[in-house]
Amino acid sequence: MPKNAEDAIVKMEKVNKWFDDFQAICDVDLTIFEGERIVICGPSGSGKSTLIRCLNGLEQHQSGTITVHGTELTGKDSAVRQVRENVGMVFQQFNLFPHLTVLENCTLAPISNGKLDENAAHEKAMEYLERVQIPEQADKLPGQLSGGQQQRVAIARALCMEPKLMLFDEPTSALDPEMIKEVLDTMVSLAEDGMSMICVTHELNFAKSVAHRIIFMDNGRIVEDQPPDDFFERPKSARAKLFLDQILSH
Amino acid sequence: MRSSLDLRFFELYRSQEYLGLLLDGALISLGLTVAAGIAGFMVAFALAALRFWKVPVLDYMAAAYIDFIRNTPLIVQLFFIAFGLPMLFGYVWPFWCHALFALTINFSGYFAEILRSGFASTQKGQLEAAAALNLSNSTIFKSIIVPQTLIKMFPSLSSQFIFLFLTTGVISEIGVEDLTHAGLYIDSRTFRSFEVFITLTALYVALALTLKAGLQYLFARTLGRRMA
Repeated sequence: MPKNAEDAIVKMEKVNKWFDDFQAICDVDLTIFEGERIVICGPSGSGKSTLIRCLNGLEQHQSGTITVHGTELTGKDSAVRQVRENVGMVFQQFNLFPHLTVLENCTLAPISNGKLDENAAHEKAMEYLERVQIPEQADKLPGQLSGGQQQRVAIARALCMEPKLMLFDEPTSALDPEMIKEVLDTMVSLAEDGMSMICVTHELNFAKSVAHRIIFMDNGRIVEDQPPDDFFERPKSARAKLFLDQILSH
Repeated sequence: MRSSLDLRFFELYRSQEYLGLLLDGALISLGLTVAAGIAGFMVAFALAALRFWKVPVLDYMAAAYIDFIRNTPLIVQLFFIAFGLPMLFGYVWPFWCHALFALTINFSGYFAEILRSGFASTQKGQLEAAAALNLSNSTIFKSIIVPQTLIKMFPSLSSQFIFLFLTTGVISEIGVEDLTHAGLYIDSRTFRSFEVFITLTALYVALALTLKAGLQYLFARTLGRRMA
């Protein structure tokens, strides 16, 4: 893994974020390099989702600096849009546009952002729908697909913008157990292609096999930041130990 | 007790004149309703967009307009436009123009409130996904918020429209020869109130159901296809 500062795709320094009186993110320092795959885990309410939502400006931090792919998120609209150009996001609830077909979901952003013309956008969308193995569903509406298929469409939709970094916010938490695998398989194949990824997930087997680093959060702080082997075998903090015991006890 | 009813429908409507009045009246009611519906919807869309985007000053003006329209009776609005404003500005329009103007304004207030609430109730997840895809605000509005609102709010818009159609009978009060006007005229000539008003009732039901079916058809062939 190259560790030159200029290869950092995400750099957070002393970042704080409050929701009214509640501090969701406390003094977070985090550097992520191009090509790295990060899994963020931790108890609910620990700030995992908020952290990655700060990285594409869905949440605005109140102090500290966040730089994504060379652009500092200053709160200015232009900076946010610059960052979003390079960052794709997949949500827990898929958030596909229900009135647009699978194909239209994938082509809307490239076309209306002026990135591709209609034909090129279709071609690219079909290419990515093939990647996530549902090209045959292209003309259906999201509501006609299973949850796992919808989430794969959501991944394809994000990829159509050719992002440099993908954010996954608990992508399998809303899925039936049988559909989790197909989504994780898609994410693994994305990982194998060298995509930089930050995933908030409780899928620890996925974390073990795919992540370069596991970040464990508690109360808005990063408590651990280790390679998966070390994290699972030798967690440094009592909180992480307890968390792993709870999760792995069944 | 002898009933004064002998339900001589056929006798009453054997008169070409009465049938013609009812038919013309129905067409005028329907035509003005559809015209005011389209014009009112366009005004309503603009009002709701001003409110949704919180355009400075115009936002408050739109809110005031909507509240004002929704809290005054149609007949007062109608008389104000047909008799009040002409005194001020000295214009002379045909009756139906006053009616169209008043109905458009009246409809727009109700439609605007439905559209505004539809725009505002777009799911947060939809907006976040759109933002994460770097869509511009205008694309988000045009491609996500508006179509989803029209799909979601179609039943409300449709039933509001039918309800407003049924209130249009008051335009007979300013001399527009609509369906209600035809009924009142025939009643005044024949005193066959039961037959006249049951015929009027049947015609209004038929027209309302026709309008409803027409809207349903239009919807099913357009946005309705986008519902899973």
